[in-house]
Amino acid sequence: MIAKLHVTKIREIIKETRRIKTFILDMKIKAQPGQFAMVWLPDVDEKPMALSYIDGYAGITVLKLGDFTKKLHEAKVGDIVGIRAPLGRGFKLRDEDKKILIVGGGIGVAPLAPLAEKAVEEGKEVTAIIGAVTKSELLFVNRFEKVGAKVYITTDDGTAGIKGFTTDAMRMLLEKETFDACYICGPEIMMVKALELARAKKIPSQVSLHRYFKCGIGICGACVLDGCGYRVCKEGPTFWDFEIEKCSEFGSYWRNAAGVKVYFKKK
Amino acid sequence: MRNPTILASGVLSASGAALKRVYFEGGAGAVVTKSLSVEAREGHKNPTVIEIEEGLLNAVGLANPGYKNFIKELKYLKESGVVVVASVFGKSISEYVEVACGVAKYADAVELNLSCPNVEGKLFAQSENLSYEAVRAVKSKLKIPVFAKLTPNVTDIVSVAKACEEAKVDALVVTNTVKAMKIDIYAKKPVLANKTGGLSGRCLKPIAVRCVYEIAKEVDIDIIGCGGVFTGEDAVEYFLAGAKAVQIGTAVLYRGIDVFKKVCSEIEDYLRKEGFESIEEIIGLAI
Repeated sequence: MIAKLHVTKIREIIKETRRIKTFILDMKIKAQPGQFAMVWLPDVDEKPMALSYIDGYAGITVLKLGDFTKKLHEAKVGDIVGIRAPLGRGFKLRDEDKKILIVGGGIGVAPLAPLAEKAVEEGKEVTAIIGAVTKSELLFVNRFEKVGAKVYITTDDGTAGIKGFTTDAMRMLLEKETFDACYICGPEIMMVKALELARAKKIPSQVSLHRYFKCGIGICGACVLDGCGYRVCKEGPTFWDFEIEKCSEFGSYWRNAAGVKVYFKKK
Repeated sequence: MRNPTILASGVLSASGAALKRVYFEGGAGAVVTKSLSVEAREGHKNPTVIEIEEGLLNAVGLANPGYKNFIKELKYLKESGVVVVASVFGKSISEYVEVACGVAKYADAVELNLSCPNVEGKLFAQSENLSYEAVRAVKSKLKIPVFAKLTPNVTDIVSVAKACEEAKVDALVVTNTVKAMKIDIYAKKPVLANKTGGLSGRCLKPIAVRCVYEIAKEVDIDIIGCGGVFTGEDAVEYFLAGAKAVQIGTAVLYRGIDVFKKVCSEIEDYLRKEGFESIEEIIGLAI
């Protein structure tokens, strides 16, 4: 079997920000940073969530956004959730890369924190740009700092760090420094811009995509990307720059549960 | 068709990009689209697809963007040179006709999904009359071949097959999934949001082979076997039971998108080992 369903208890709940909570599960999952879990709330729904903790007990970090995440935020320690994990392909840390840049926007920081921890463990020098709409919504800054990453902060409203987007900080940083690889996760429009910046400096990059998933194991086809035919849940959710370049829908649209295209709002 | 393996509906079939990949990278002889309906359907909430020890259980609920939205995907497939079968679903005879006529220009054949287990009410394929009427109505309008996909969830599948034959169907797809349920003992609830779903995979093969065999004995039209084809040997079983081609779905999960190439080469191995020149020689040999 690819990923058996395990029903487990919530072991611990951490309130990260006003709208973000981490749920530590009563199970351990041998996973790579960037891999995800299909999280089932009986009688509600099942959604893909990046694994934000993979050493020790596994965890997911969830932004309250729609019906499912609202219900999940109401859960208490000891409540049950169904987990199918680890799924998909995680980020690839290459041996030859010594100095990496991590760029995360909003809840997109969730899979990047374990990546930073693993990168440092492998002896890499990590620089991170972490962005949020406002200071109180910044996620996991402490985890990056704890492992010794050099952290730049951006907020849309200027309440902390640089006022602006992560890509504004990235542009400034890349003018004076270079990196061997770049790892990006956040709103898709942000990832498009960040990839452009990395490409201009010829820095190999990986992004992590979000799409509507059904099976989560590469059989139903709901998340197949136009142009390249990659399954986000199987060949992704992380893609190299040279892979995502072949995906014509990247930065343009995604498909909803019916398979109807939904276009991204350009900022 | 360049070979007798066809991608079954519902698997990697929600877009042109997915189907094209299965055709070229996977090596399928033809691909079947997700079932298309008049209006867009979101289908059921997740969980819609789950693996269980016995196979794959799904209740996607005929999610699709509606046939009008899918026409550009079909055009893309045509332009790419993909042999494509459009799967058609309707809640009434007139809906089957509307969708079939709407997509016929862009498809090489139409497969009437008379048998999805994940929608409310009685299935067309559980009624000889409804099956006959749906096939006849669509056949009267279309020039391209029309297939009918049957359900094993009946007491007498041969009667339904005969009704389709009488309505001049070009081929029967035997069969759709078996209606089933998985309860998680710790959640103490059915896992699928729809409670019940269709069971596919290896466990379906002996059931579907039996259906093919029974139909082939009584009916004189082409049969496409469907259910649990993982290897060339599985396909051969269907040929021996009377099928001329097979559809493959769940095996994509376990053997990869190129399962079609693998199955074809395993069929060749069998034919060579057993001293046959072609698949035609073994069709119905077990009857």
